[in-house]
Amino acid sequence: MIALLVPAALLLGVVFVVPLFRYAWLSGHADSVLTGLVAVPNHGANWWRLLHDARFWQDAQQTLRFAGVSVSLELLLALVIALLLDQRWRGRGAIRALSLIPWALPTTVMALGWRWIFNTPYGPLEQAAGLMGLPALNILSSPSTSWLATVLGDVWKTTPFAALILLAGLQTIPSDLYEALRLEGGGPGVCFRRITLPLLQPYIALALLFRLAQAFGVFDLIQVMTGGGPAGSTESLALYAYLNAMRFLDFGYSATVMMGSFLLLVSLCLLFWLSLQWLQRWLGRT
Amino acid sequence: MQRRIWIVLLLAWSLGPLLWQLYTSFSTNQALVSPFSDLQQRWTLSHYQAVLNGNPPFWRYLFNSLLVGAGSTVLTLVIAIPAAYGLTRIRGGVNQWARLILIAAALFPYVLLFLALLEVARSLNLGNHLLALTIPYAALSQPLAILLLSSAFRDLPIDLEEAATLEGLGLWQRLRWVLLPLIAPASTSTAVLVFLFSWNEYPIALTWISDSDLLTLPVAMARIAGSSIYSVPYGAYAAATVLGSIPLILLVLMFQKSIVSGLTSGAVKG
Repeated sequence: MIALLVPAALLLGVVFVVPLFRYAWLSGHADSVLTGLVAVPNHGANWWRLLHDARFWQDAQQTLRFAGVSVSLELLLALVIALLLDQRWRGRGAIRALSLIPWALPTTVMALGWRWIFNTPYGPLEQAAGLMGLPALNILSSPSTSWLATVLGDVWKTTPFAALILLAGLQTIPSDLYEALRLEGGGPGVCFRRITLPLLQPYIALALLFRLAQAFGVFDLIQVMTGGGPAGSTESLALYAYLNAMRFLDFGYSATVMMGSFLLLVSLCLLFWLSLQWLQRWLGRT
Repeated sequence: MQRRIWIVLLLAWSLGPLLWQLYTSFSTNQALVSPFSDLQQRWTLSHYQAVLNGNPPFWRYLFNSLLVGAGSTVLTLVIAIPAAYGLTRIRGGVNQWARLILIAAALFPYVLLFLALLEVARSLNLGNHLLALTIPYAALSQPLAILLLSSAFRDLPIDLEEAATLEGLGLWQRLRWVLLPLIAPASTSTAVLVFLFSWNEYPIALTWISDSDLLTLPVAMARIAGSSIYSVPYGAYAAATVLGSIPLILLVLMFQKSIVSGLTSGAVKG
């Protein structure tokens, strides 16, 4: 039986485990154009540089802000969509299929689509603002709004995924529960608070965990939609690592950025898990 | 009545941006730049002509993505089905640990792996080979595929397999003639999800493929964006978006049940 697992285990090892060891090794070496693309040990200089790299920490902040805001918006929206799709009405299957389309398209396709929609001065939003007599919006060229535009792109694409997970959760709730509570005189608000939310909690946690991890690694959308700009305001950690390797040809430091991002993600997941435990205990007490 | 408003809102949100691309793709450049002035010509097919007669022509990217998607799907299933079966037949701690590792791998933002994978590709001369992409894609798809398929195997009654063993069927025969037909729905879901992932994958295809005849669709799209922000040919791009979306929209509409059950069965059973 174990033999059946060997090919998959080998493949997983090569693709997931080897890279992490390789990065750990490479992060202890200078390997860039300056060294002639040969790895030379540099005794932790990469890590020292990472700790003092303002761009890395700014990108970390931006990545967390992006992930936090877009995942919260997604889950709220997904909850509304899941509640809508959980009811019985004609044509529900077709609407569910249509609402899945954004999730199925390649990220880069709509990333460029969004760039056109937010384009200054010809995109539809600017044209509409012009008609209403508003000044130019410059959404993608101002650091205060461009990251919100990338959030919108992410929410649009990944909400269907979260909505499906929540919908699956809603469909496991037996309808007798609602009827029982309604007989006792509970309105829809009470039903939602006392039945839907508590029973949906594991599914919310699952969608949250999956989406947070994915949003933390955001790359395609940012690279195509803004290229990290303006002024690096939308740059994510994955994009910074990519630029270090492919544009600055500094492979040693790129590996360090990836290891740093990975460690950050692991500690965040631990924190998330611990706070969930704490929340459950706290909810259990009240 | 109130529900109808919500449904309309949902559709507008999901499809609005795409419909805007559709509108853009048929509009003349003049109509895009100044939509409210008097125009001699508002509609055009020239964007589609430009995209389809480009060098390489657009269908080439669709074909490349199709090839990579199909190859990755087959490779993933060939490796994941035996592994999933093996996993369900192993009991105890190993099983628990394997499951945990698979979940962690499924959660991992794989974009962080691109540099090491690129080094592998360089040392083995795998760059600029379309079918070589199926190896990392199959590997990255393993966690989800094994989890989905093993939960399908777990749901099959054990008596069935025991009966087949008593009939004298070997392991391979049991898999092929008894178990595989029964997990066909889960295999379909897995196949569709893996195909979508491979069709859409960007960072690895971006770094492995540089030959413009071999680009997959997502990379080809992004290459158009590589030019400056002000010179992106949005009309032609919108036409490419529409052409590139049609196969996926058909796929979603045809396989929506499989997609939904694939995405949710993990959530419900896990």
